Amino acid sequence: MATTSTTIQKKKGSSIVGLLKPYLWPILGLASLAVASSGIGLITPKIISHSIDAFVHGTFVMQTLLVEFGAVTLGVFILTYLQSIVQTYTSERVAKDLRNSIADKIGNQSYEFVEKVTPARLLTNLTSDIDSIKMLIGQAIASLISSVVIVIGATTILFTINWQLALAVLGIIPIIGGLFFFVFSKMRVLMKKSREVIDWLNKVINESVLGSALIRVLNSQGPEFDKFVKANTQAKDVGLQILRIFAALIPVITFVANLAMLVILMLGGHFVIGGSMSLGDFAAFNSYIGLLIFPILVVGIMGNAISQAQASYDRIREVLDAKEDAGTGTLKKELEGRIEFKKVNVKYVEKYALKDVSFEIEPHTKTAIIGPTAAGKSQILHLLTRLISPTSGVIKIDKKPITEYDTSALHKQIGFVFQDSVIFNLTLRENIAFGGVASEADLEKAIKTSELGDFITTLPQGLDTVISERGSSLSGGQKQRIMLARALALDPKILLLDDFTARVDNKTEQKILSNLMANYPAITLVSVTQKIAAVEGYDKIILLMEGEVIASGTHKELLTTSPEYVQIYDSQKSTSHYE
Amino acid sequence: MILKKAQATMNNYALNKPVGTEEKTSLWGSIKKLLPLLNDQKERIIVATVAAFATSGLNLLAPILIGHAVDDYIQKGQYHGVLVYSAIIFTIYIAAVVTSYFQTLFMGRVGQNVLFTLRNSVFNKLGSLPVAFFNQNKAGDLISRINNDTDKLNQFFSQSLVQFFANIITIIGAAIFMLVVNWKIGLVAIIPAIFLLVFTQILSPWIKRKNALSLKNIGGLSAEVSESIDNFKVVVAFDRRDYFKEKFKEVNEINYKSAIGAGIANNTLTPTYGLASGIAQLIVIAYGITLISTGHFTLGLLISFLSYVGRMYDPLRQMATVWSSFQTAFASWDRIHAILMLDSDLTKISETKVVSSAHVMEFKDVSFSYPGGKEVLHSVNFTFDRGKTYALVGPTGGGKTTTASLIARLYDPTSGVVLLDGKDIRSYEDGERARKIGFILQEPFLFSGTVRDNILYGNEEYLNLTNVELEKVISDHGLEKLLARFDDRLDTAVTATGSALSLGQKQLIAFIRAVLRRPELIILDEATANIDTVTEQLLEDILKKLPKETTLVIIAHRLNTIENADEIFFVNAGEVTQAGSMQHAVDMLLHGKRAS
Repeated sequence: MATTSTTIQKKKGSSIVGLLKPYLWPILGLASLAVASSGIGLITPKIISHSIDAFVHGTFVMQTLLVEFGAVTLGVFILTYLQSIVQTYTSERVAKDLRNSIADKIGNQSYEFVEKVTPARLLTNLTSDIDSIKMLIGQAIASLISSVVIVIGATTILFTINWQLALAVLGIIPIIGGLFFFVFSKMRVLMKKSREVIDWLNKVINESVLGSALIRVLNSQGPEFDKFVKANTQAKDVGLQILRIFAALIPVITFVANLAMLVILMLGGHFVIGGSMSLGDFAAFNSYIGLLIFPILVVGIMGNAISQAQASYDRIREVLDAKEDAGTGTLKKELEGRIEFKKVNVKYVEKYALKDVSFEIEPHTKTAIIGPTAAGKSQILHLLTRLISPTSGVIKIDKKPITEYDTSALHKQIGFVFQDSVIFNLTLRENIAFGGVASEADLEKAIKTSELGDFITTLPQGLDTVISERGSSLSGGQKQRIMLARALALDPKILLLDDFTARVDNKTEQKILSNLMANYPAITLVSVTQKIAAVEGYDKIILLMEGEVIASGTHKELLTTSPEYVQIYDSQKSTSHYE
Repeated sequence: MILKKAQATMNNYALNKPVGTEEKTSLWGSIKKLLPLLNDQKERIIVATVAAFATSGLNLLAPILIGHAVDDYIQKGQYHGVLVYSAIIFTIYIAAVVTSYFQTLFMGRVGQNVLFTLRNSVFNKLGSLPVAFFNQNKAGDLISRINNDTDKLNQFFSQSLVQFFANIITIIGAAIFMLVVNWKIGLVAIIPAIFLLVFTQILSPWIKRKNALSLKNIGGLSAEVSESIDNFKVVVAFDRRDYFKEKFKEVNEINYKSAIGAGIANNTLTPTYGLASGIAQLIVIAYGITLISTGHFTLGLLISFLSYVGRMYDPLRQMATVWSSFQTAFASWDRIHAILMLDSDLTKISETKVVSSAHVMEFKDVSFSYPGGKEVLHSVNFTFDRGKTYALVGPTGGGKTTTASLIARLYDPTSGVVLLDGKDIRSYEDGERARKIGFILQEPFLFSGTVRDNILYGNEEYLNLTNVELEKVISDHGLEKLLARFDDRLDTAVTATGSALSLGQKQLIAFIRAVLRRPELIILDEATANIDTVTEQLLEDILKKLPKETTLVIIAHRLNTIENADEIFFVNAGEVTQAGSMQHAVDMLLHGKRAS
C-alpha cells in the first residue's frame, strides 16, 4: 500500500492532457473527422462560385451542381455525424474510466477520510466534475480543431482566389482577435469582481439561513434585508458593467465583419469590373468571410471550457492523490474480549465528542453505555472498530493497543450492529453474510438468534430474495434484526450494539437477548442504549453525558450514587407509564 | 374559559418532496409564472424589441443592396454606382451598430433588473418564513439550492436571454426578407427549415426518452454512490471495500451505455441542421439559376439570397444549443418559485382580551408537535413570575429547547395558548415581542464583521455610539471583563466561519448581546456549556446585577449548573413538572419519587 501512495504523489499537479493520453487513438480519430468535415465544408462556396461563373459563361450544367453540392453536403453530414458518435463514445469512455478509478480510490480510504471530505463532495467529483471533463472531450476538442481548420483553410483559399483582396479583407482577423483579447482581459477583471460579489451575496444568504433562529429572536429581518440589498445592488452594477461591454462588443464585431463585406464590394467590385476577378469568385469571397467569423469567436469561448475542465480535474486529482489509509498493524490473534479505554479524547474542531474517557470491560461480560443523544456513545463503538481514531489516549483490546492489530482480522472478530439500518441492494443471504464467507452453520445460528426464521419463510424466495433499502416494505424492527444477523454471522468475539433496542419491541428484544446468551455464551457485549430497563441486569453500566463519563457501576450502585442516572431512570418510568 | 383553543396545523415546509411526487411543470407554465416579474420592465422590453427589429432589418438590408450593386453596376462596369452603394451600405452598418448596442443593452437591463428583483424577493421570503422552514430543510441544501439556482438564473438573464431574443428576431427577419425579395425562392428556401421543425418534433420524444433513461441511470449511479459512501462505516467495519468497488463498476457500466444512447440521440440534431442549411443553399442556387435563365431573377440577388440563407439557418443551429441552457434555467426558476410560494404561518392575530396577571409568562394547556412528528409537549401548564430565576432540566430530547422556542414564538403551539404579560403572544408585534424576550441560543451564531457588529446586532439603541461610549455602556452593565477576553476588544474581527473565536467566546458575545438589550425575560439555553467555570462565575455575577424585575430561564442538562434557581422544572417526555429548589429536587430525584 505504501508503494501506491508514493507513485500517486508523483503525479500531483498533472494537467488534463495527461488524463487524455491513454485515449490517443480515439482522440486522433475525432481530430481527423473534425478536420475532414470542416475541410470538405470549405469546398461549398467554391462550388457556388464555379456554378455562377459557369452560368455567366454559358457552360452551366445543373447536374454537375446537384451532384457536387449534394455530395459535399452529404459528406459533411456523414462526417459530422460520425464525429458526434466518436466524440460521444470517447467522452463517455473517459468518464467511465475516471469514475472507476475515483471509486477504487474511495474504496481504499478510511471512514474518517470519507467523513472529512464529505460524501456530498465525493458525489460531486463523481458527477458534475466528471461532466465538465466530458464537456471538454465531447465539445471543446472537436470544435477547437474545426475552428482552426476553417480559419486556416478559408484564409488559404481566399489567398489563392485573389491575394490582394484577401490581404485587404483578412485585415479583420487581427482586428477581431485584438478586440477579443482587449475585451476578455477587461472582462476577466469584471468576472473576478462579479464572482466576489456573488460570494458576498451568498455569504449574506448563508448567514441568514444559518442564523435564522437568532434573526427571528431579535426580529432583525429589516437590517438583514438592507445588507442583502446592498450586495444585490453591487451585483446588479457589476452585471450592468459587463453588459455594457457586451453590448458594445457584439455590434462592433458585426460591424468589423460587415466592413469586410464592404471591402469585398468596393475592391472586389473594382476587380470584377476591371476583369481581374470573376463574379463567382466575388460571391465566394462573401461566403468565406461569413464562414470565418464564427470560428474566431469559438476559439475564445472554448478557452473557458478548457479551464473549467482543468479546475474539475484538479478537484478530482485531490481525491486521487489523497494519501491512503495509514495501514494496519500486523497482529492477528483470536480475541478474548478485554477492552480498555485510557484517557481517550475525541475532538472535532472545537468541541469534544469524548473527553478524558477511561474505563475497562472484562471479557465475556455485558456492558451498557447509556446517556442522552449526542453524548458520544456511538463514538466509543466507532473507536473500537477503528472507524475513527482518538485525538489522544489509548484504546486496548486484550491489553494490546488497537493500532497493533491487523484491521481485517479485527473486523472479522468484532460484530457491529449500527444504529441506522443499512440494507444493501442484494439478496437477504448476501446482506446477512455481508462480512465475507460465513459457513452455513454460522448463518443458521445468526438467523435463529436474531429471530428472523419466521420472517424468512414468508419471503417468496426465502433467503435468496433481493431486499433493498429503496422502496422496501421491511419494518424498522426487521431491518434491525437483519443488521444483528449480519454482525453475528461473523461469529464475533465482541459484539457492539448501537441503540439496537430502539426499534425492536420488548418481547422480541428479551427473546433475542436470551438467544444471544445461549448461542454465543463467550461473547463480550457492549450495548449502547437509551433504555435502562433493558440493561438493568448487565455487569456494568457506563453513564455518558456530553462526552464525559459521569458515573459507572451496576444498576443498583448507580441508583444510590448518581442523581443524573436516577433522573433518567425516573423519566423512563414515567414514559413507559405514559405509553 | 376565555381562551379559544387554537387550532394551528403547521405548514409543511419541506422543499425536497419524496421522489415521484414532484408535480410536473410545463415550460410554458414556468414562463407564465415569470411574466409578473416582467411587468415593470415593459418600456425596456419595447425599446429592446424595436431596436432588435431595426438591427435585423438594417443588417438584412445590406445583402440586398449588395445584390443590386452587383446587378446594376458591377455587371455593367459602372464603378461610380458601386461607390455610391458602398456609402449607403456603410451608413446602414453604422446605424446597425447603434441599434444593436441599444438592443443588447436594454434586453440585458431587463435581465439584470428582473434578477435584482428576484433575488430581493427570495431573500425577503427567507426573512419572512418561520424557523420551522429552516429546520425542515437542511441548511446546506437550502444554501446550495438558493445559490445554485439564482446563479443559473443569472447566467440565463445575463447571457442566454439576449442571444435567444436576438436569434429569434434574426430568423424571422431573414425569412420575411427572402419572401419579400422573391417569394418563390423564399418559400423553397424556408422548406428545409419547416422540415427541420417537423423532424425535431418527431425526434423529440425519442431524444427525450433516451435522455430520461440516461438521467435515471445517473440518478441510479448517484444513489448507489450515496448508498455506499453514506454507509461507508458498514463497508469498512465488515471489511467489504471490494463490494463498493464492484457495485460501482456495475452501475457505472449501465450508466455508460445509456449515456452513449443519450449522447447519440442529442447529436443527431446538429448534423441534421447543417444538412438542412446545405440543402437550402443548394435549392436557392439551383432554383435561382433556373429563374435567372428565364429572366425572373438576377445574379446579384442570388448572392444576396445566399447570405439570407446563412442568416436564417445559423441562428437556428445556435438555438438548439441555447435551448438546453433555457431548460436548466427554467428548472431553477421552478425551484425558486417553490420557495416564493411558501407562506409564513406565524401571523399576528388581533388583540385578545388581556388577562390581568402578575405572571410574565404563562403556558396554558400547550401542546406541540413538529410536522409529521410525534407530539413533543403534552398539554403543558406553568407560570413564570417577574424577577425570578427558573431552571428547566431534563434529558436531551425531553422538550426543553422546544419549550424555550415557544416562549420566544419561534413556533406556535399546536394547541393551547402562550401568554406574555397576560396577553396572547401571537397578538404582539414582532418587534415588541423581540424587545421583551432575550433568547441565548444553544448554538451561538455570529455574523461576519467585528465583535462590535455582533454585540449591537439587532440593537438600535446603541448603534450610533462611538467605541468609547459603547465601552462605557458595557462596563455599566458589568460586562467589561467579558469584553477583555477579545484581543482587539470591540474591533476584534469575526470571520464568516468564526474559526478564530472559540465556542466559549462566541457564547460570551451572545451573552453580552442579550444583556445589552435589557429584555424582560432572558432564556439561556445551555448557553454556558463551553465556558470555563471561572468565567461562568463571572456570568452569574452579571446576571445578578440585572434589573430586579428581569426573569431568567436557565436550561441545563446537568444539575450542578442551576444552583441559584428559585424554582426548578423537570422537562421530560413532553411534560413539565415542578420540582422546587435545587436541594429539594435532588432529594426528590434520589428518594422521593421512586418511593411513591
